[in-house]
Amino acid sequence: MGERTPLWAVFVLPALLVGAALVTAGFDAVLAAGARRGRPGSLRETAVRAAEPGRQVLRHLVQQPRRTRASDLPLARIGAGLLPVAAVLAAVVLPLGFRSVSDLPEGIVWFNAMEALAWAAVWLAGWGPNSTLSLIGGYRFLAQGLAYELPHMLAITTAALGAESLRVGEVVDAQAGLWFVVWMPVAFVIYLLSAMAMAFWGPFDQPAGRDVAGGAGGELSGADRVLFLGGRWLLLVVAAAFSVPLFLGGGHGPLLPGWAWTVLKTATVLAFLVGVRRAIPTVRIERYLELAWVVLTPLAIVQALVVAVVVLNR
Amino acid sequence: MELRRALVRAAVARPGVLLAVSPGATRQRLAVEAELALRGWPCASGPAEADLLVVVGDREGQGEGEESDWLAGLWRGIPAPKARVWVTDPERAADALASGLADLVRGEHGTDHAPDAHHEHHEHHEHHEHHEHQQNDGTAAHSDHSGHDMHGGHHGHAGHDMGLIEGLPMADRADDRDGLRLDVLHVPLGPVLADWPAGLILRLALQGDIVQEVTVEPVATPPSPRPPFWDEPWLRAAGGEHVSRGDAARRLCAAHLDSLGRLFAVAGWDDMAARTRHVRDRALAGAAAVELASLVRPLIRRAERSRTLRWLTTGLGTLTAEQARQRGVTGPALVADGDAYSRMRVWLDAVGRSAAVCDVTEALDPAEVVGPRGRLDTPVPPSRALLDSLPRLLVGTEFACARIIVASLDPDLDEPTHVPAPRTVHSHG
Repeated sequence: MGERTPLWAVFVLPALLVGAALVTAGFDAVLAAGARRGRPGSLRETAVRAAEPGRQVLRHLVQQPRRTRASDLPLARIGAGLLPVAAVLAAVVLPLGFRSVSDLPEGIVWFNAMEALAWAAVWLAGWGPNSTLSLIGGYRFLAQGLAYELPHMLAITTAALGAESLRVGEVVDAQAGLWFVVWMPVAFVIYLLSAMAMAFWGPFDQPAGRDVAGGAGGELSGADRVLFLGGRWLLLVVAAAFSVPLFLGGGHGPLLPGWAWTVLKTATVLAFLVGVRRAIPTVRIERYLELAWVVLTPLAIVQALVVAVVVLNR
Repeated sequence: MELRRALVRAAVARPGVLLAVSPGATRQRLAVEAELALRGWPCASGPAEADLLVVVGDREGQGEGEESDWLAGLWRGIPAPKARVWVTDPERAADALASGLADLVRGEHGTDHAPDAHHEHHEHHEHHEHHEHQQNDGTAAHSDHSGHDMHGGHHGHAGHDMGLIEGLPMADRADDRDGLRLDVLHVPLGPVLADWPAGLILRLALQGDIVQEVTVEPVATPPSPRPPFWDEPWLRAAGGEHVSRGDAARRLCAAHLDSLGRLFAVAGWDDMAARTRHVRDRALAGAAAVELASLVRPLIRRAERSRTLRWLTTGLGTLTAEQARQRGVTGPALVADGDAYSRMRVWLDAVGRSAAVCDVTEALDPAEVVGPRGRLDTPVPPSRALLDSLPRLLVGTEFACARIIVASLDPDLDEPTHVPAPRTVHSHG
């Protein structure tokens, strides 16, 4: 580490994230179309399918905003806008290779704090429109937040414990020899679960479920909708990307430069998360709450304990 | 201006489609869904994300007053640019969608062109436009779709003391199951919800997202003389026509695949729902038994192997055989003798078995009048019995569980709306 990051990185970061989100969404769209209509016939067809998210964004951007009766428009707007902001702010400490926009001394805490903004965002977006189904979506996310946050915090604390630092750069440096995933696999798995839950994605997409007509974001249209759903993709990308410096050795790897390794590892994690959503139905929150408190939290504590003992004996 | 036009054109090339299906229009719905899958247009789960409202309904079974209310509400809830088409003829589903797209591209801001083929409905459109002007003249609301408003006209709840804010009822309070005094919200579910039986309206009292009270609203549509699509082969055979056993098996297979598609979609398994519906469309398009069996096998295997699905659906909406018999349930729900998961297993079994025999040409025994949802020769249509069992199964469950339970019973509202010739089945409800 040590080198200073140039100022323009601040502007490049959001663009990079949006690009990554669009590529991931395109990949997801190809898979979705495959389930609906069978395998794509040609390369051109695949390209058309992959361009779907871009077209959707355009479609919503030409839409007029609408509002529901007796809605609290500012709340819903703040909620929708907050989601992408939270994702980008969390990504500030994300190293590409060995460089992040800002390697804060307490980067891990910063990351977790920014994620927590998503709680507020989804709740506000669900509450604002004064509609039952979107309100239920908001409720569901709060319950989900309670279920994932504790194991999640324990999991990222475990990584910090292993590196004896809250600075993301030092966590990466500590994995030069051995990736954390090797000796803290439980924490890694719990992190991945909570990463999906955080972006209400995959088996944890109940807050935006189709059974509640889109849930928390169901009443948003036009640019609000793009911000909200786009913010969700950003959050997914950022959460997946953060598993790389935490557990997968960051930019460490043979032959390729550090940034390439980061991109490669992030892409792998993202592809995995996208695949999981295809393979598994949505987990109902009350079942997940049970699992989170009875299984995941104790497991996370045991994992943290093991790591703490190893670190103390070093 | 040219640029803007080109942008709109590109943006709406694959419009989000909101389907509003009236009971009795299963045939049309299937045609529209197959066409949508072919075109790759996304299905919207609510008005906010839709551009094109596709109203699917039988012309004969078309009520004026009530229905235009909820349609008007839906239409107002869709942000401009928007268009609307009416599909009454399954053969013309593709034309209707094409004309809807043309309207979208042409219209600047949700202009109200009815496709020429459907000029009878101009009356409706004028009615809607009138509403719209009122809305636009007012300062605040551009649209007032909301959960409370899903079913247009608001039905008062006698006995509940509710205040109104901007014309919407406030939540009132009641004791919950733990003896706490909590807000109660009265929410009508349906008739337009994604993956919801067409025409079904449930009135729920919710505390948080726990269902406290359920009433099934009687079907609003006037009775239709056309036999329900899914029961057709058996009813025709009972009427003395020659129907092959293969055709009946094919219909049964498709009916259960349709129900399974709903169940998977409600359980949040979009991928499986899409695959299931693809196979359903193949079955209805007349795929040979060999192809159908090879398509069905991986679906069944995947559904049966999914531990998550099992974990999520066991224990929901348990209906024992005895209770089912008491309520007059005769179909898969009786055979299953258990929860949502066991009902799904019964469907899967039936799909596997019927897919294998859908080419058999031997004639269907006219005495065998068991449709996808149960016996058709009882005084009460099988779906009526399913509807009657719903409230007891739903009370006390969470909203998400309630949706799964409804999907696992999947009552077919075409059945109660169908008034058959006097000699076979009697109407009820």
